[in-house]
Amino acid sequence: MRESSTVPEDVKQRLNWLLIFMVICFSILVISLWYLQMIKGEEFKERAVENCIRALVEDAPRGRIYDRQEKLLVSNRPAVVVSIIPAEVDDLEKLSERLSRIIGISPEEISQIVKNYRENPFKPVKILDDCKTNKIVEIEERKDELRGVVLEVKPRRDYLYHDFAAHSLGYVGEIDKEELQQFNNPKFQGGDIIGKDGLEKYYDDILRGEKGGKEVEVDALGQEVATLLYQKPVPGNDLILTINRDLQLYGENLLFGKKGSIIVSDPNSGEILALVNKPSFSPNLFANGISSSDWQRLSSDTEYPLTNRSVQGLYSPGSIFKVVTAVAALEEGITDRKRKIYCSGTFELADRIFTCWKETGHGSLSIVDGIAHSCNIYFYTLGKDLGIEKFNEYMQKFGLGEKLGIDLPAEAIGTIPSVQWKQREVKEIWFPGDTINLSIGQGYLLLTPLQVHNIITIISTEGEVCKLHLVKKIISADGNTVKEIKPEIYKKVDFSSDTFKIIKEGLRKTILKGTGWRANIEELAVAGKTGTAQNPQGETHAWFIGFAPYEDPEICITIFLENGGEGGEAAAPIARAMLEKYFNIKN
Amino acid sequence: MKEKLDRLTENLDFTLLFAVVFLCFYGLLVLYSSTRLAATGGSDPYFFVKRQSLWALLGFIFLIIIIFIDYHNLERYSKVVYFGAIILLIIVIFAGRSTYGARRWLAIGPFDFQPSEFAKIALIVFLADFLSKNKPKLDNFFYYLIPFAYTGLLILLVFMQPDLGTSLVYLAILIIMLFVAGVKIKYLIFTFLAALSSVPVLWTFLKDYQKNRLILFLNPNLDPLGGGYNVIQSRIAIGSGGFLGNGIFSGLQSQLNFLPAQHTDFIFSVVGEELGFAGTILLLGLYTIILWRGIKIALEARDLSGSLLAAGAVSFLFFHITVNIGMAMGMLPATGLPLPFLSYGGSFMISNLIVIGILLNVELHKVKW
Repeated sequence: MRESSTVPEDVKQRLNWLLIFMVICFSILVISLWYLQMIKGEEFKERAVENCIRALVEDAPRGRIYDRQEKLLVSNRPAVVVSIIPAEVDDLEKLSERLSRIIGISPEEISQIVKNYRENPFKPVKILDDCKTNKIVEIEERKDELRGVVLEVKPRRDYLYHDFAAHSLGYVGEIDKEELQQFNNPKFQGGDIIGKDGLEKYYDDILRGEKGGKEVEVDALGQEVATLLYQKPVPGNDLILTINRDLQLYGENLLFGKKGSIIVSDPNSGEILALVNKPSFSPNLFANGISSSDWQRLSSDTEYPLTNRSVQGLYSPGSIFKVVTAVAALEEGITDRKRKIYCSGTFELADRIFTCWKETGHGSLSIVDGIAHSCNIYFYTLGKDLGIEKFNEYMQKFGLGEKLGIDLPAEAIGTIPSVQWKQREVKEIWFPGDTINLSIGQGYLLLTPLQVHNIITIISTEGEVCKLHLVKKIISADGNTVKEIKPEIYKKVDFSSDTFKIIKEGLRKTILKGTGWRANIEELAVAGKTGTAQNPQGETHAWFIGFAPYEDPEICITIFLENGGEGGEAAAPIARAMLEKYFNIKN
Repeated sequence: MKEKLDRLTENLDFTLLFAVVFLCFYGLLVLYSSTRLAATGGSDPYFFVKRQSLWALLGFIFLIIIIFIDYHNLERYSKVVYFGAIILLIIVIFAGRSTYGARRWLAIGPFDFQPSEFAKIALIVFLADFLSKNKPKLDNFFYYLIPFAYTGLLILLVFMQPDLGTSLVYLAILIIMLFVAGVKIKYLIFTFLAALSSVPVLWTFLKDYQKNRLILFLNPNLDPLGGGYNVIQSRIAIGSGGFLGNGIFSGLQSQLNFLPAQHTDFIFSVVGEELGFAGTILLLGLYTIILWRGIKIALEARDLSGSLLAAGAVSFLFFHITVNIGMAMGMLPATGLPLPFLSYGGSFMISNLIVIGILLNVELHKVKW
């Protein structure tokens, strides 16, 4: 039978207190659950969805670049990236040490990279880009002890000939913050690879293609469980250049160890067959994300290997400019085929004495001989009569001081002196002596090799100038023509045919009897002009411009050697070699 | 025998028993949901559920056996039970199976057995006996310290495994039982203050991962990938359940394995995500029934030792429930304490049911047979 309990009263009281304490604790739990699930529920629901729905971007393969004969110049190759997924790592120190032994990055550096990354523990953190094959094999073999390490294959830009035509081709790199802001387009995201210079930049829209992507449901290990949406990437279009690979390579070899540019183009179409700039660099250095040491080396190099000399470099044109002076004087009636000017070796203007390069003087010269022998006195005389205003008018007609519209970024427009220009920039009035200097391409005038090249193009075509360009055709990844770039008349320059005829004669005689004799080729009628430009940087720049054949020009050529010496001695032989190569290839 | 059965049906707390059985099935359902896609079981989605069911069955057998042993007989062996636990804990330190740098398990045939779970029950039995026999002497401060020494030995042994969570359970059982036994409140306050002042000293004894857990409890965002990750994901899971949850088997976090230890320490998050506020309240409701019946049994017990046994059982369950749920919501540090009747684990499941057996036993023997 039930007996009365012997549990002391104080114990019962304590038990009641315990009950109250438990009620309080459970109430706190209930209130917290209410807050978490009922009040914050929606917010957490979103976070849960965010947690497991991933938008994965599939990069479009970037378009390839071919030469005019469809020989491959730039392609993509698979590069293996070694990454670590932080969430899968058990012991970071140990893993770093093991991985370090294979890839040669210090264990401290590896664990630092992983620790510094705090976004998403399931997103691979890049440790080593473009891993070498033997290392990949070793990582694959030791997969079991390298839990958390993943190998990802990513397309990498591959410039087949390294520093070949580097300035024209340009390079690619990861989009940076400023570019992202500047483009302000949702198409672009951090980490995207875009063209940073050269054709890669100019034709980025065409080469880049359209990113594809998918929305996938992933589990905690980031493994795809289901694909919710998929959009196939559209590969970028390929470029077929106007460049002839063999001619370009030949030109690059000719300028090996030198500084300067070679431009070869077809004046009838504006197609550039070779665009050599030296010194150069390998765009492959940028393809992996350039290392800071490489960048330091390239950007601080006093030879400026990153500068595209032919479109960005500004140089004194020297005697090449006499062609412009001659055209202006002929057009203005200051001289004609018959007028002779006597060269004694010196020219006097307002107490200043200007000299000819030939100290003993050339004697009495016609304009044709004046061009052929590049007589300074002849052109001083013409320049004095022309005056600066007329120079400005004709320089404009030759397209100097404006962009030529080549399909490359950051084209320079040169420094075109005028009365106003000097007032503004030098804070001085224009002296008659300045005009005298200008008449032989010295003084303030600075042009890019491309602008100089345009001068000879105008002469060779007798005024019907086609826009200089590097891309001939755009084709889709499956080989269909998307766009063919037709020759486009950039400017019609109407000088009288007589003017052109006299100038051309002068240029032909330059090769046959004058300063350009080193560019003479027996079986090919070459016309050209040499230039030796004094400059404050030291040794003279050597120039040569020309075209061939004389009767029916097929190609125009410009040689520029920075601090290269005499135009006739240094530049003309290179022009000759290039011309021979061109006609060899052709036949 | 007939008379015994009559008494049984007359005096057995069916409300308590029903709540426990309900909880076990509830737990198996949630366990199935959280483990059916797990890789451990190979292609068998019921792998974990089968094993857990087996343990629950084993636990009920223990429960029935315990019911029929008058707790007074049990208390006669309290010292044997206590020292048995000590010996097992010493063995486990030297011969235990080690996982994640801790030795906690002893292999018995194909099963692993966790002596520290058994020690919880041993401690309850021992303290009930000791405190009931020595209640008047507890007013003496030095006598009051003796149970601390006994418990301290257990704590020290599990601390060496190391297992911070379990040692806290021992401490909680001791404090609550001392409180119920009627020790002077000022002693308890004094003990609390002394413990607080010794924190800096104890800190140096903690393993690095234990220190990290405490630091991360204070700010889980310090290391969202590592220790803090569990708590962040768990909160997301619980919160995203809303009122009715995503439905069983359809929690995004749980089904896609975003929740670590989701079938053991973090199983509450699965309840929260898949069954929502309704599911968690139902769970808390069932726990409330058990704890309330436990206190009732303690109040109505025949004598002090029965009352203390029941109080010990209640404190064990209460501490596990509160700390586990508090941890899942990020309110308490992640100490790795499982949730009674829900978390996967054999020793724990069996010890939960033994504790219920003790409660039923005290209830059954409130009258003399």
